Amino acid sequence: MTHSTIHGPAALDRRSVGALVADIDRALRSGARRVQLDLGSTESFDSTGLGGVVAGLRAARAAGAELKLKGLSRPMLDFFSLLSVQRLVQPERAPQRLDPVRRLGAFVEPMVDGALAVLRTGVGALRELLLGPFRGAPLRLDRTAIEVDHCAAGALPIVMLIAFLLGLILAMQAWVQLRVWGAEIYVADMVGVSVFSEIGPLMTAIVLAARSGSRNAAQLGAMVVGEEIQALEQMGIRPLAFLVLPKVVACAFAAVALGIVFDAVAVAGGGLFAATVAGIEPMAFVEQLRVALDLDDFLVAQAKTATFGLAVGVVGCALGLRVSSGSEGVGRATTNSVVVGIFLIIVIDAVFVALQRLGG
Amino acid sequence: MDAAKPDLVVARGLVTTLGDRNVLDGVDLAIRAGEVFVVMGPSGCGKTTLLRHLAGLQPPTRGTVTVAGHDLHHASPDVLHQLRLRSGMSFQGGALLGSLTVLENVELPLRENTDLPRGVIRETARMKLDMVGLLAAADQMPVALSGGMKKRAAIARAIALDPDVVYFDEPSAGLDPITAAEVDNVITKLNQVFGITMVVVTHDLPSAATIADRIVVLLGGKVVALGSREQVWNDPDPRIRDFIERRLRAEESRGMDVVAHLEV
Repeated sequence: MTHSTIHGPAALDRRSVGALVADIDRALRSGARRVQLDLGSTESFDSTGLGGVVAGLRAARAAGAELKLKGLSRPMLDFFSLLSVQRLVQPERAPQRLDPVRRLGAFVEPMVDGALAVLRTGVGALRELLLGPFRGAPLRLDRTAIEVDHCAAGALPIVMLIAFLLGLILAMQAWVQLRVWGAEIYVADMVGVSVFSEIGPLMTAIVLAARSGSRNAAQLGAMVVGEEIQALEQMGIRPLAFLVLPKVVACAFAAVALGIVFDAVAVAGGGLFAATVAGIEPMAFVEQLRVALDLDDFLVAQAKTATFGLAVGVVGCALGLRVSSGSEGVGRATTNSVVVGIFLIIVIDAVFVALQRLGG
Repeated sequence: MDAAKPDLVVARGLVTTLGDRNVLDGVDLAIRAGEVFVVMGPSGCGKTTLLRHLAGLQPPTRGTVTVAGHDLHHASPDVLHQLRLRSGMSFQGGALLGSLTVLENVELPLRENTDLPRGVIRETARMKLDMVGLLAAADQMPVALSGGMKKRAAIARAIALDPDVVYFDEPSAGLDPITAAEVDNVITKLNQVFGITMVVVTHDLPSAATIADRIVVLLGGKVVALGSREQVWNDPDPRIRDFIERRLRAEESRGMDVVAHLEV
């Protein structure tokens, strides 16, 4: 049978449109070349009902058949007068499928772009720091102070809590091993060396990335979305000097300051354990610590921590400034600032340790 | 335009206090089913606050809003949900979800609130986009749209569920006169064809003159005029004359009073 007639329901709306679409599909599948949809007895309709009619027109066109409408009421014609049915049933362009090379490119490109943006922001901030004073625009100490207040002072409680507990934990783990040999006093070496050279710098930088790197990315990203960055540029205020440099300097400063606090509190935690549970004389612990720690190592650790802070600051700002698309983009930049920040911290740590221990 | 139309949205004694200032100071009005009701007034007169109360987005400090007989701000969550499904809102900046395409934005209320087949939702959403002249931009992301396109996309989304009433916050603000006229045209067409009640907040006089059945003028949180377009246009109240003739009192005292401080 090549002809078929379907009668529309009395009320063509959300409740009945599913059945109508199914009827049209069935008629088309049974091979009808010409389907008539009689809406003569349809008294009321809503737009989803007519959406079903348009879906039917499109399905008929796709099947190479014809759907003829009959008995359209005046209000329906009024509705259709607001739009073009011809335009609606035009076949849509199929979404382009990317070949594997392009897909790989689409995956890698944002990463390369992001890495370049981080590099550009880092170099740009350095230039502002070094050349600014000659242009009459030295580092903005007022804005840096605000950032330091957030990055350093704000992070103090959590850093001290983590440091104290980690000091206790390290001392406990070391003591369990060392007391077998009667070498409990080396708990001081264990805690001191690991905290001062690795755990202190790393933990501080990770806390900084989570608290301040993410904050910088979200803040600058929202400013991009709100056209605030463009407004600054337009007013002749360089965002790198006005926003980014104070944040980067504050991050580096905060990393070192918090790192030193971390070291002190962690060693105090370890010492407390040594004195109370392990029964080590406090003075003996301090003396052992003095022997174990080396000033050169301490200075290298501080340089390392400062570099971590710079990396966290630059990454957060660079990714924030790269945001291009609304709330989604701000969210992505915030996540990436922490992920990339922590990744860079570990890479920098590896470079420092290699240079220090292997380089001589 | 005939007074026999029933009231759909009724506000009684709305007072809104922000700090120690009354943004709204005793507003009474009734919006009739099927009319285009325009809220006019200068910036800061409480227009947007009034719209938020009417749309149920923010409760007033005192007073009530009833929609189809239900007290909007004291309704149960279920009733409120049902009332929301029967209303739409076009926000000033569009408020499109940035992570979805234009078409997906318009599909969203249908997809979340009905269990219609995908194809029907899609065609319904595409019809709404074609009504506002945006079908060609269906697969674009909101960031790629101009301000006027965003507003039209927001209108398409606001009418996705065939609402009884649509609230517009400054539909023509920031648009060039031609695009603004297109948006006005969409509002008028949708009102005439579907009989959707339109509540439009604007300070755009030409726009109000084109679309309004009735107008309310707010000044300092109070209703100073409420009536048909002609009534308001011919109102002798000097405050309304000032507003309509775009004359601001403050302008008159502005000027060369720096002269008093000059040394000659």
